[in-house]
Amino acid sequence: MMRVTQSMLTQNMLRNLSQSYERLGKIQDQLSTGKKIARPSDDPVVAIKGMAYRTNLTEVEQFKRNFSEAHNWIDASDSALNEATQVLQRIRELVVQASNDTYEQSQREHIAKEIDELKNHLVSIANTQIAGKYIFNGTDTLRPPVNLDDPVNKVSTNTEQVKIELLKGIQLPVNVNPTRVFTYSATPGQGLFSDLEALVNDLEAGKSGQELNGYLSYIDKHIDNVLAERAELGARSNRLELMEARVDEQEVIAQQILSDNEDADIERVITDLKTQESVHRAALGVGARIIQPTLLDFLR
Amino acid sequence: MGSTFHGLEVAKRGMAVQQMALYTTGHNIANANTPGYSRQRVNFVQSEPYPPASLNRPQIPGQMGTGVEAGSIERVRDRFFDWQYRGENNKLGYWQAQADALKKMEDIMNEPSDSGLSKTMDQFWQAFQDLSANPENTGARSVVRQRGLAVVETFHYLADSLTSIQNDLANEIQVTVKSINSIAEQLYKINQQIAEVEPHGYLPNDLYDERDRLLDELSALVKIEVEPKPSGGNALKTAEGSYDVYIFDGNGQRQLLVNGNQGYQTLSVSPSASSSPEMPPGPLTGLLLGGSSIPFVASGKLKGLIEAYGYDDGSGVKGIYPDMLKKLDTLAYSFAKRFNEVHQTGYTLSPSNPGGLFFSDLTQVDGAAKAIQLSSNIDDLNNIAASSAPNEPGNGLNAIRLANVKNSNFANLQNPAPSVSYPITAGTLQAYYESMIGQLGVDTQQANRLVNNSEVLRQSVEERRQSVSGVSLDEEMTNMIRFQHAYNAAARTITTIDEMLDKIINGMGIVGR
Repeated sequence: MMRVTQSMLTQNMLRNLSQSYERLGKIQDQLSTGKKIARPSDDPVVAIKGMAYRTNLTEVEQFKRNFSEAHNWIDASDSALNEATQVLQRIRELVVQASNDTYEQSQREHIAKEIDELKNHLVSIANTQIAGKYIFNGTDTLRPPVNLDDPVNKVSTNTEQVKIELLKGIQLPVNVNPTRVFTYSATPGQGLFSDLEALVNDLEAGKSGQELNGYLSYIDKHIDNVLAERAELGARSNRLELMEARVDEQEVIAQQILSDNEDADIERVITDLKTQESVHRAALGVGARIIQPTLLDFLR
Repeated sequence: MGSTFHGLEVAKRGMAVQQMALYTTGHNIANANTPGYSRQRVNFVQSEPYPPASLNRPQIPGQMGTGVEAGSIERVRDRFFDWQYRGENNKLGYWQAQADALKKMEDIMNEPSDSGLSKTMDQFWQAFQDLSANPENTGARSVVRQRGLAVVETFHYLADSLTSIQNDLANEIQVTVKSINSIAEQLYKINQQIAEVEPHGYLPNDLYDERDRLLDELSALVKIEVEPKPSGGNALKTAEGSYDVYIFDGNGQRQLLVNGNQGYQTLSVSPSASSSPEMPPGPLTGLLLGGSSIPFVASGKLKGLIEAYGYDDGSGVKGIYPDMLKKLDTLAYSFAKRFNEVHQTGYTLSPSNPGGLFFSDLTQVDGAAKAIQLSSNIDDLNNIAASSAPNEPGNGLNAIRLANVKNSNFANLQNPAPSVSYPITAGTLQAYYESMIGQLGVDTQQANRLVNNSEVLRQSVEERRQSVSGVSLDEEMTNMIRFQHAYNAAARTITTIDEMLDKIINGMGIVGR
């Protein structure tokens, strides 16, 4: 038979109580942080998965941030090109008017002035800036793409794409190719600004309606160029929205995975807490009882 | 015929011995809560019967009992439990030291959290993504620089904190070695006292208890073995003698620490602390016992501490902290080197030149986590090479490439091809860091589990030991009543004999008076 003494009982009681406190402490940690684990050793697998999932979530959040940047570019480009289309339409109307030979020279000169102004407006559209960046100059975003006063480089020739990473490994170009729209050329019909300059000169020089009529086809071609770029922009904007929907979904999934991995199941933790509480009370109750009277109390 | 006063002598002896037993009971009760105390018992033995076999013996029908005498006062203890307890205590000491060191490391690494190295790296990566969308923006560049600074500082913080804990461990090793030496000295002195008492036929029970308590304490620090050496002289058979205490070295060979009552050896660490009062900064190369070198120790707190602090047993530096620091260096070195390589393939903003260094160049892996710095080149924000081609301020492709350094697989580095051979040969930086933390978690979990296990085992042995040696007040009370009654009864015998003698002396030969 094993001999059991008072000190053995008290020592056991103290040890059990401190273990009970330790378990209560762990549950308290889980409840107050909402996490299953506080340190890697609590569950190494959850810990390293947690690190990976966090990185994943940060990436997805960053991609979402990149989307607004891409929207900025595409929307600004689209509205600028929309304006350019309207300007070109107006120029076309004016040319149709002017090609009417009933117009007098002075009237044609007025039209020339208006077209000249509209040309300048097109220059300012080509030099649109968002957040200090010229959006129609390829990757050379710090210099205006069009400067008609420059004797040599009147328009930019930079065709580089500005790319933004929107999904891992997927970089979407967000700018339009400016050399297809804002052009200048010695050959008639090949350059937007050169054609407009020639048109203004011809109007001022009093060329006949027949001759002016030739510009209509040039302008139509330039309008086509702008529309082609806008169509591409539209397609890209579409793709952007699809990708954004996907990234939004990914964000939810990433957050869910992270939560599944390391968030404490509160209902369960509270149940555990309740159980542990009763165990602890029982331990305390027993503790009070094992400090029993000894034989001494009954001797006289 | 026996003596007339024979009965008086028997009763007197009985009273004296019961009294002795009562006093011993008192001693037990008084020491009920003394650590290391084992209950004591008076061994009652019958005294020599009368008459002894001899030529002149009186012719009586048989030998007559002469009462009781105290054979000895012994402590009730089982040496087998001591041996078991010390074995478990030794394991507990080792795992406790390891678990403490690992727990502190976990606190420093602070993963998974929103403020660890992983998060700092994520933010650095984010800053480059933002830069790639706005490469010409000074604000974005400034954020990149600050986040780079944060990464550098996190590396410094981790390496410095680990080193500072390592220094604490060094101090703890010193303290542990000192307490081993102090225990050895005390054991030697107790051995001396015991060797002086035992030849006189006494059992120095309280000295035995104290010696066993010291051995328990020592067993937590190093693995020990005890060999009793008889004291000689008139020592009792149950005398325990003086103890030779051996400690086990790293090869499992036992080395004499306390040589009975002859002397003891002093333990010290090697290399010794010569220049500074603290420990040498390098790893330990061995231990010196009494001036001669021994290959470390087997198990125990001292071994746990040495393994945490770092040691060199001739086949390179090992240990929990040196390993972690080395991994951190490897991470910092590979990260900075690779990042620079990619950075140098890009072009700066204005003037548009090929990119320079982002982090200042690291020459060696050792100490990289402490040496990593932002290059002074980056003080000018325009020198961050975000563009992949010259003269393209709006080009952010290199920034994207830089952002992806964290996730590039070192087994297959391209664009640019690696210029140095990296200590990380496969996997990404992220995966390498995750495996560092995973390993730490598994190690800590294992140490914690073994601390719990050995604690339970030690507790159960301690319980069995207490079951044998512990003082039970109920039992002492019972004994007290037993001894008291026996004492009273012996006294009553004297009264009876007194009445008998009264009859002989005063009541005999007065017939008819």
